[in-house]
Amino acid sequence: MWRTTVKGLMAHKLRLALTALAVVLGVGFIGGTYVLTDTINKSFDELFADTTQGVDVFVRSDTAFESQNASGSGDREAMPEEVLETVQGVDGVDTATGSVGGYAQLVDKEGEAIAPQGPPTLGFGYPDDETTENEDSAVTMRAGREPATSDEVMIDAATAEDHDFSVGDSVDVLFEGPKRTFEVVGIIGFGEADNLAGATLAVFELEAAQELFNKEGTLDSIEVTAEEDVSPGELRNRIATAVPDGIEAQTGDYIADEQSDSVQEALGFFNTALLVFGFISLFVGAFIIFNTFSIVVAQRTREFGLLRAMGASGRQILGSVLVESVIVGFLASLVGLVAGFGIAAGLQAMLRVFGLDLPSTGLVFEPRTAIIGLTVGVLVTLISAIGPARRASRISPMAALREASPQQATFSRKRLLVGASVTLIGAAILGAGLFVSLDNAVSYVGLGAAVIFFGVTALSPLFAEPLARAIGAPIQALLNVPGKLARQNSRRNPKRTASTAAALMIGLALVSMVSIFAASIKATSSRILDENLKADFIITSSAGGGFGGFSPEIAAGAAEQHEIGAVAAVRYGEFRLDGASRFLSATDPDTIEEVTSLGVVEGDVGDLDGGGVFLSTDVAESEALTVGDDLTMEFPADGKTDVPVDGIFETTDIVGSDFLVSLDTYAEQYTTNLDSVVLATVASGVSTDDARAAIDTATSDFPNVTVENQAEFKETQAGLVDQLLGLITALLALALVIALLGITNTLALSVFERTRELGLLRAVGMSRRQARSMIRWESVIIAVIGAVLGLVVGGVFGWALVTSLADEGISEFAVPTGQLIAYVVAAGAAGIVAAIPPARRAARLNVLEAIATE
Amino acid sequence: MQSVKEEAVPRPVQRIASRAVDVAKVYGAGSTAVRALDGVDMEFETGKYAAIMGPSGSGKSTLLQCLAGLDQVTSGVIYLGDVDVTSLNEKHRTMLRRDKIGFIFQSFNLIPSLTAKENITLPMDLARRKPDAEWLDGLLDIVGLKDRLRHHPSELSGGEQQRVAAARALASRPEIVFADEPTGNLDSKRGGEMLAFMRRAVKEFGQTIIMVTHDPIAASYSDQVVFLEDGKIVDLMEGPTVEKVLDRMKTLES
Ligand SMILES: Nc1ncnc2c1ncn2[C@@H]1O[C@H](COP(=O)(O)OP(=O)(O)OP(=O)(O)O)[C@@H](O)[C@H]1O
Ligand SMILES: [Mg+2]
Repeated sequence: MWRTTVKGLMAHKLRLALTALAVVLGVGFIGGTYVLTDTINKSFDELFADTTQGVDVFVRSDTAFESQNASGSGDREAMPEEVLETVQGVDGVDTATGSVGGYAQLVDKEGEAIAPQGPPTLGFGYPDDETTENEDSAVTMRAGREPATSDEVMIDAATAEDHDFSVGDSVDVLFEGPKRTFEVVGIIGFGEADNLAGATLAVFELEAAQELFNKEGTLDSIEVTAEEDVSPGELRNRIATAVPDGIEAQTGDYIADEQSDSVQEALGFFNTALLVFGFISLFVGAFIIFNTFSIVVAQRTREFGLLRAMGASGRQILGSVLVESVIVGFLASLVGLVAGFGIAAGLQAMLRVFGLDLPSTGLVFEPRTAIIGLTVGVLVTLISAIGPARRASRISPMAALREASPQQATFSRKRLLVGASVTLIGAAILGAGLFVSLDNAVSYVGLGAAVIFFGVTALSPLFAEPLARAIGAPIQALLNVPGKLARQNSRRNPKRTASTAAALMIGLALVSMVSIFAASIKATSSRILDENLKADFIITSSAGGGFGGFSPEIAAGAAEQHEIGAVAAVRYGEFRLDGASRFLSATDPDTIEEVTSLGVVEGDVGDLDGGGVFLSTDVAESEALTVGDDLTMEFPADGKTDVPVDGIFETTDIVGSDFLVSLDTYAEQYTTNLDSVVLATVASGVSTDDARAAIDTATSDFPNVTVENQAEFKETQAGLVDQLLGLITALLALALVIALLGITNTLALSVFERTRELGLLRAVGMSRRQARSMIRWESVIIAVIGAVLGLVVGGVFGWALVTSLADEGISEFAVPTGQLIAYVVAAGAAGIVAAIPPARRAARLNVLEAIATE
Repeated sequence: MQSVKEEAVPRPVQRIASRAVDVAKVYGAGSTAVRALDGVDMEFETGKYAAIMGPSGSGKSTLLQCLAGLDQVTSGVIYLGDVDVTSLNEKHRTMLRRDKIGFIFQSFNLIPSLTAKENITLPMDLARRKPDAEWLDGLLDIVGLKDRLRHHPSELSGGEQQRVAAARALASRPEIVFADEPTGNLDSKRGGEMLAFMRRAVKEFGQTIIMVTHDPIAASYSDQVVFLEDGKIVDLMEGPTVEKVLDRMKTLES
């Protein structure tokens, strides 16, 4: 049996290769993601171990938790400068260096603000001549020297290189306060890396920095080196007892781990997303494998019958097919793992484009990657082959004697019942994930979607025939015989057509779901802006999709212009509610209602000046709070604080959170005070153009913000959604490519199966062109069936998703009809591409040999 | 296009429908080379029904395929009418097959996904030509399949399938019909019907047919029998009868 299996495999190398390709791509993507994750983790571990090298103990203020501020870095209270003396006085301390940090954004030579996508823009202040004094430190001077005066700055090598700065150049820097100009006196690197995990860096002289960051007389951290005979742990303990309450000491290793963990956590989402797409690809691949094995088993019916007639048992046949699948799965997974390296390298290059410069650690290949890749690859192949293998094992010895007749799938009640039940079960799981608040909602949604895909695939042969007929009709009318034959062929074996189309259906369902979701978000956001936004101008960060922070000077400057009416800034802060991280919005209570409606249900927004909080109706309900009650909020600085509830409001969309406080309250709780949005109206009696000119003047010092009117703002928002949609579609492209490979595969096998028929057609006068066209249009029909089924399923998914998020504020359900039609057309076009190899094969067929084929 | 008007005018016929000039066909190369045709010179007259006979492996199918332009000769020239088939490229040979030649194979003559009617008009549909309705109607009358036209091949008996194939071969009024053992898979009754039909096509419409057969009865329907042995023409027999053919075969096989 073993020998027949191997011989069978070798006899059909093309089939083997095509089946394997689906596995290769899926496993490659998954393996690549793991390789990338491991590589990133290792390089950050090394990077932060390097940068903290030589520092034995860190001293800093103790916070309840570290909140993320608008410039993208962690926020921590500063400590009084006197602590430095205390630390220096501790027995065993060799050197102790105090430093401050804060928001500092560099402006490039074209006057554009330098803004990495995601990573923060950091500023630091170090005492003159101490930054790189520590010889063990991995922080290295690449050029120049350290800043010694208040108008000198040192920047990271990546920024210097990307924006063409060298020692001696002058550079503008943006702060919480006004913009300032400095001279670049030094350029630093971090071991081999040119920057710290993508962040931009500006290092100032300590006293200058204290003033720039509003931190006069304070320090953010103290770096301590131990005398030779003292261990870091011991020194940490000694310092901890010496410093006052509210200040902590940690070893250098601890800090390195902490920093590395926080970067890894930030990238964790990215890795998970990639893995999800990898598994989707493999899921689609499973359909292809199933399909290939089904077709091959059907084609080998006589061979299996003959084996049975010669005494092979059904079990042996079953085993033979399964062993074949395991071999294919294993080989393909191996190749996939190798391909994974290439994919990892590609993804790494992509990250670099986004500004994340990783230190050049070689790609890391953990055994885990191989184990998961091989297991998943082999299992998926094996499971996909079980059905076809069982069918093969049931072939009767009589089959060897009969002429193999193409199975004519007819309407089957059983199929309808099973398919419909599976679909319903999937819908129930999906619905539970979407509409019932469960712990693992996302897993339910994923599982539900997968089950629905199985159900619809089971049902799809029932639709395939009528769909093929309908889609084929215009093709037949247009193309005459090749069109007619294409249509007939696609209808001939509805099961095969359907399961081939199913792979494409999955990809298209996901793409159209995301499109519908995106269109709904756009429609919702447009409606919300129309209904609530009164501001004529919206100022947002020009970088990072409008999520960056910028100086409060901008709002202040705008308010000074007499052409401008009301101005309200909005900034965000992280706090904890019952241990869970939440975000609050802070704004000017006196002007906010002039720039947007808040839908106040109870209370007076002006009361927020007293230090209270406004809650959204949702939160008020879920926390069972009313005006006059206290909400226990945990802040980074003060820890748990009872904040009086001043009012309840309905419209959370514009201010962006369920919790609204005043800017003063914010300043008490957070160190960094950066605005994220500024809303402004035109003063009465002033023309829009004049107001615009005024606001442009007010912001002219700040290239890191964009001023937009309502229409422009709406467009930008829509653009952001489209960008995300584009990214997701690009990642789904892999699944789509695999689905198209499936079409290629099925058609190649069909062409092989119909060799004689093709020969006959050619003999009676079908030209090569016509033969190609026939295969091509069959492919188009299959692709369009997949696309249409995908649109239907995706439409339902999209509707369910949008409906389930109505509570989250997505109130509009929009269907991007044009886009969806474009998908169908694109699928058809892709079908043409998928058909190229089999069509070519069909056209090349030697007529005589074809006729002679048994 | 064959219009009804042209019907009145006699077809501009060549006296010789198909001609092989010193044709050789070698399969393979070196020590395993097989000389399937070895210097065949033959003229097939227009409006005649010719049969090719010979022992198995003598090169009958090869000759037929070369004459039809399905296969390429190793040396020599094949003419169809006055067209040199051997000099045509694949595209033109396809056009030739579609427009001027009809085929009947031993089995698997029909496209399973097409109905009988669609199979019959297939070559013309491929050429996007309208079939001559009157001619087709008459043809179907003779074939006797009028009530089965909407059926698929799987719903027809072997004999019916072969008759559909014959109708297809004649439907476009080709200059010549090639048939390779068209009755090989039929019982004697169905085979007889099929042969009678082909005979009628020659008699009544002046159709040229070249048929390969093993069967002396089939050969007896023809006007002329060509005997082949080891790739060479060894004899010609005009006005064959079953007995005469049987006699000749015996001497060939011994
Ligand atoms: N494709 C091929 N490759 C190699 N040799 C071939 C090929 N086709 C035919 N032959 C050889 O050419 C010779 C003539 O074959 P052909 O098929 O013409 O015989 P035939 O007279 O039709 O026989 P039969 O009565 O059995 O059909 C045979 O010896 C055959 O083995
Ligand atoms: Mg033969």
